[in-house]
Amino acid sequence: MTQDTETDAARKDESDHYHLRLYVAGQTSKSLAALANLKRVCEEHLVGRYEIEVIDLIKNPRLAASDQILAIPTLVRKLPAPLKRIIGDLSNTDKVLVGLDVRQKGAG
Amino acid sequence: MPAGDIGPIADDPAALAAHIRDLEARLQESEETLDAIRRGEIDALVVADATRDHAVYTLEGADRPYRVLIEQIQEGALTLDEDGAVLYSNQRLSAMLRADPGSLVGRPLSSLLTADDRPGFRSFLAAASRGGARREFTLIAADRAWIPVYLSLSPLPGEDGSTLLCGVVTDLTEHKLHIRELAEANARLKEQMLERGKIEDALRQSQKMEAVGQLTGGLAHDFNNLLTGITAGLELLQTRIAQGRLQGIDRYIGIAQDAARRAASLTHRLLAFSRQQTLAPKVTDIADLTAGMQDLVQRTVGPEITLRVAAADNDPLLVLVDPGQMENALLNLCINARDAMPEGGEIRIEMGRRVIESEQARALSLAAGAYVEIRVADTGTGMPAEVLSRAFDPFFTTKPIGVGTGLGLSMIYGFVQQSGGQVSIDSTVGQGTCVSLYLPVHRGSLPRNAVVPEQGAVPRAGGAESVLVVDDETTVRMLVAEVLKDLGYKALEAAEGATALALLRSDLRIDLLVTDVGLPGGLNGRALAEEARALRPQLKILFITGYAEDSVLSASDLQPGMHIQTKPFGMETLARRIRQLIDEN
Repeated sequence: MTQDTETDAARKDESDHYHLRLYVAGQTSKSLAALANLKRVCEEHLVGRYEIEVIDLIKNPRLAASDQILAIPTLVRKLPAPLKRIIGDLSNTDKVLVGLDVRQKGAG
Repeated sequence: MPAGDIGPIADDPAALAAHIRDLEARLQESEETLDAIRRGEIDALVVADATRDHAVYTLEGADRPYRVLIEQIQEGALTLDEDGAVLYSNQRLSAMLRADPGSLVGRPLSSLLTADDRPGFRSFLAAASRGGARREFTLIAADRAWIPVYLSLSPLPGEDGSTLLCGVVTDLTEHKLHIRELAEANARLKEQMLERGKIEDALRQSQKMEAVGQLTGGLAHDFNNLLTGITAGLELLQTRIAQGRLQGIDRYIGIAQDAARRAASLTHRLLAFSRQQTLAPKVTDIADLTAGMQDLVQRTVGPEITLRVAAADNDPLLVLVDPGQMENALLNLCINARDAMPEGGEIRIEMGRRVIESEQARALSLAAGAYVEIRVADTGTGMPAEVLSRAFDPFFTTKPIGVGTGLGLSMIYGFVQQSGGQVSIDSTVGQGTCVSLYLPVHRGSLPRNAVVPEQGAVPRAGGAESVLVVDDETTVRMLVAEVLKDLGYKALEAAEGATALALLRSDLRIDLLVTDVGLPGGLNGRALAEEARALRPQLKILFITGYAEDSVLSASDLQPGMHIQTKPFGMETLARRIRQLIDEN
């Protein structure tokens, strides 16, 4: 798979930077909760090495196509590769950390 | 590569392994999605329709209009569990009860009810669970204010088989306020109507009294005529007695008595009129009545005027009228005729039966049929058309002030109309006036009643019977006492209640108390009668009064053994009455 090659290269280049994309549907409660949870987790574990891109599918539903979004909210880890998805409101922090494959500082 | 198509890589184990890993990853992703859905961590879905257009469907948005509706609606909305505890209340309900939003949740609704409403609430809930119920209640707000509400509950089947109740709470405060305002306005209106009724009554009475006042001037005039009749009769009597010509003098006595009787009936009618009493129609023979009045009329109109009375035949002309009113009408017409002939002339009273055919009946506004016509015609000045047209108007008179009331013709008109008849006037200036009264013929005969006064000896006292006479009018009192003594009664006299009471307290024999109703000295006749009855329970009492019979004493005031005699009365009448009362038992 060509994607794998890219991902490997990216991991070498930006192994420490997280590009996260959160798909929301306007201000539904789960969307708001997901954004709040994501910010909290990032501030705790990824300070200074993350960026969050919020995509409101209510405003532009077509954008759902690119990441094949089915349920909202969905978080997509664009970087570091490989691409990962976490579906839901991100209320379970442990699950979010596992899903994002966050390497805790000082943990290895 | 499509998930199911493994043809091209079937022989490459490494490619197959990679494919399996890919499928596993995709499967895991799908499971995670389903998992998130199951856990309710998502609230929106991206759907792609047949045209591949993406749309976002939020679960929250689906029922949002309804939630907003319930939340924002200007009626209280709530959900109760089976026991009546509040599970949900909207903003309006919180505002209505001045409660913090959410503070109502968990509380039993019954705790918000007044003590009066609580007992019936459980059965109301039961009824609501069965199929809905609605009723008025009073809720107590957080600030202890009472809020009248209309509570309407419907059953809402829960998922677990339980039944919830959802309902609407309508604040009736303003509604009740409106009802109260309406009731108050209504009460005010009623009060005003009552007040208006009173004012109207007072106005009617004052109008009547004004009419009486107007009448007085004319009445003095009528009375003078009657007094003339009395004095003329007495003078003639005196002359004849002086001349020693006693034959036929009873005729003059009759004239005087007749005039006095008419004067009495005139005052009665005045009293009756001022009290708006309806007078009783009787079967009356007009020919007879007119003949009986001929002397009086002649005396009233004076010697310059010739009076001719003519009946078409000798049959009685029976009509159903109040005889007093009829006499009054005739007298009035003759007085009008006289006044139209200051230089003298002739009055013709003609009467007879007339069958009025339909054409003439229409012209007279009468029903066709048989009538008695009474025509009073004079040879006087007559009336111009403009006077004629107003002749029946009340208070319209061409006579100088104090001479006529202006009520004569209008009263005649009212009386004749009331009797089912009609009045018509013909008048030609310089030739005279003719007034015709049409009264429906009464089909029947003259009742043989006690119209003829009883003749024969006045009954005399049986023994030592004693009568107490109380009247502040000395002449009346003395005259009554005189008559009583003549008749063999012992007469005790008192000018006022206190004196009478002293006599009643003594052990003197008193068979009858004759007392005026109006007495000076603070004790009127009615009070005296009560005192007398307290002292002597069996005492018979005869009230005499100058007022109309039931104006001073109603029938309920008259106990058994109490009677009433209106003034003026003949001494014979009084004697008979007294005898009758003493003999009663």
